[in-house]
Amino acid sequence: MIEGGWEYIWPAYAVALGGLTVLTVVVLARLLAWSRQARDLDRPK
Amino acid sequence: MFSAFANPARFMAFSAGAAPALFVGALILFATGIPWALFYSPADYQMGDTARIMYVHVPAAWWSMGVYAFMTGASFVSLVWRHVLADVAARAAAPVGAVFAAICLITGSLWGAPTWGTWWEWDGRMTSMLVLFITYLGYLALWAAVEDEEKAARLAAILCLVGAINLPIVKFSVDWWSTLHQPASIMRSGGSAIHPEMLGPLLTMAGAYLLLFGALTLMNMRSAIHRRRVENARLRGAQA
Repeated sequence: MIEGGWEYIWPAYAVALGGLTVLTVVVLARLLAWSRQARDLDRPK
Repeated sequence: MFSAFANPARFMAFSAGAAPALFVGALILFATGIPWALFYSPADYQMGDTARIMYVHVPAAWWSMGVYAFMTGASFVSLVWRHVLADVAARAAAPVGAVFAAICLITGSLWGAPTWGTWWEWDGRMTSMLVLFITYLGYLALWAAVEDEEKAARLAAILCLVGAINLPIVKFSVDWWSTLHQPASIMRSGGSAIHPEMLGPLLTMAGAYLLLFGALTLMNMRSAIHRRRVENARLRGAQA
């Protein structure tokens, strides 16, 4: 059995969870930006 | 089902509740699955603790293919029935699938180093997964490069359908060729070969990835609909 290996496990989880977090932040930021601009269209000028 | 969401207003009403619900569901499953995978699941009798990389690697691999299959279906619907939201759905899913494929490749490399003694090998499974990642990038680049959205949607849908040829190659590469990568141990004829104590956290993490994909794709679709509306209004303003 391979002993240890945590020096590979932690980076793998950091890459996976970090990647998913960055993706989520980018998607949310884009959604907030476009929905704000769309809401501005509905405001009376 | 398809026609129910052909109306963007109806889709926006549905997704306003569905996207946050899927996102919260994903967070709950991640909060359950990560400690389960890292601390409460057993070590593998051969790979030891390094087998814990499986819980982030395998769901990324499954859903990078699943997302591409979803995009293929949406592209087909877009080309054949000209469903107004099908191309939006395919484009919205692509960045999520690309990130899943990247996670699969990087975590696979981190798993390969201690177990195989190499970070990379040009074998069938790894090479076809790299081709899938490059196809995602090509699909996104095509959307960005063509200014006319209708033309971009058509070209991207054709590229997506052609790229789908790679899906069975990724899946069956471990059966067709002698590869360093291990053969399928869950989705295989004869049933799952994985220990039930490992299957629980694996399916929990797979569920988390799936719900996150659903949430992010719906959010991306909402962004695209808002963006189209804003750009159309600007165009009308410029013409007036």
